[in-house]
Amino acid sequence: MKVQNPETAHPAFKMMVRRTSDYKAPGGKLVRVRMEEKNGEIETIRISGDFFLVPEDQLSKLEKMLIGAPLKARELKLLVDRFFVATRVKGLGVSPDDFVQAVLTATVVE
Amino acid sequence: MAVEEAIPRTVGKGKAPTTVRFWHNANTVVLGCFQSAQLEVNFDACKQTGTQVVRRFTGGGAVYHDAGNLNYAISLREGHPVIPKDDNLQLVFRRLSEGTVKGLRDLGVSAEFEPINDIQVDGKKVSGAAGSVRWGAVFHHGCVLVSSDLTILGKVLNVSRAKLSDKHVASVQKRVTTVREELARHVTTFEVQDAIVKGIEECYGVHLENADLTKEELALAQELYDTKYSRSEWNLSP
Repeated sequence: MKVQNPETAHPAFKMMVRRTSDYKAPGGKLVRVRMEEKNGEIETIRISGDFFLVPEDQLSKLEKMLIGAPLKARELKLLVDRFFVATRVKGLGVSPDDFVQAVLTATVVE
Repeated sequence: MAVEEAIPRTVGKGKAPTTVRFWHNANTVVLGCFQSAQLEVNFDACKQTGTQVVRRFTGGGAVYHDAGNLNYAISLREGHPVIPKDDNLQLVFRRLSEGTVKGLRDLGVSAEFEPINDIQVDGKKVSGAAGSVRWGAVFHHGCVLVSSDLTILGKVLNVSRAKLSDKHVASVQKRVTTVREELARHVTTFEVQDAIVKGIEECYGVHLENADLTKEELALAQELYDTKYSRSEWNLSP
């Protein structure tokens, strides 16, 4: 008896979940995250806010690094810390952990 | 905004002297470089009030400019004796706000620097600053609310609840004040400018002379305007 493989019989529909957070960092600045998650991983992400990062042209690198990352504290912290070390970016009003918290606290948009 | 970027780039190369620039413009929301235009700006209110939206190259939060607002910008080469030695941005903000604080205090406004980047009077913001260390230069700019229309400011900026959560106020409008309000008299941007010039001269032991932008600064500003600051991809990025 042949058993039809369900993975090939039907197209797969993966659920994209939109998440958002406005995270007020202890340093006083706001980190706003708008992202899409698929299967527990970041599919797209936009980070904005009124913080300071010098040099200013590096933030898009962090966004790129986070694509595909699992929504888990340890993995996110490793990536964000690596970004700050590699780019030698300095933050003011915001710390590396604030970016991690902003992503982790993003809630599902109904 | 193009001139604002052209000056530190030129100063950093050593092709222009240490510069303090004063300017003001018509109704404009100026976004910080990391901010989302869609999230921060009430575009309907901008349309109703004839307010344009532009983006600066420095971080920090959105501000509202009108003719009652005085902007100042200080550009120095890295290593200038006025600047804290390690170029720590927080120390730079504090140090380069001193001239403005002094100027406002000499006018009779009890202004104080409030970290991270504000000048406040009794807990209300009268000036916000931003800055960067790039291109071999240290750059600091700020806007002083001299007699700005705070009702328009309250309409055109969307301020998130999270941002105001520890401010104990319900709106950005209640969190800010103007020099005119504090002095309870008519005051012009030129009067405030003169006071800040004196404040800078006294705080840093320098003498400021009127001068025009250099040819290189003007050419670079035109290029930056054409390729960046006139474009919605830069000004209105989501």
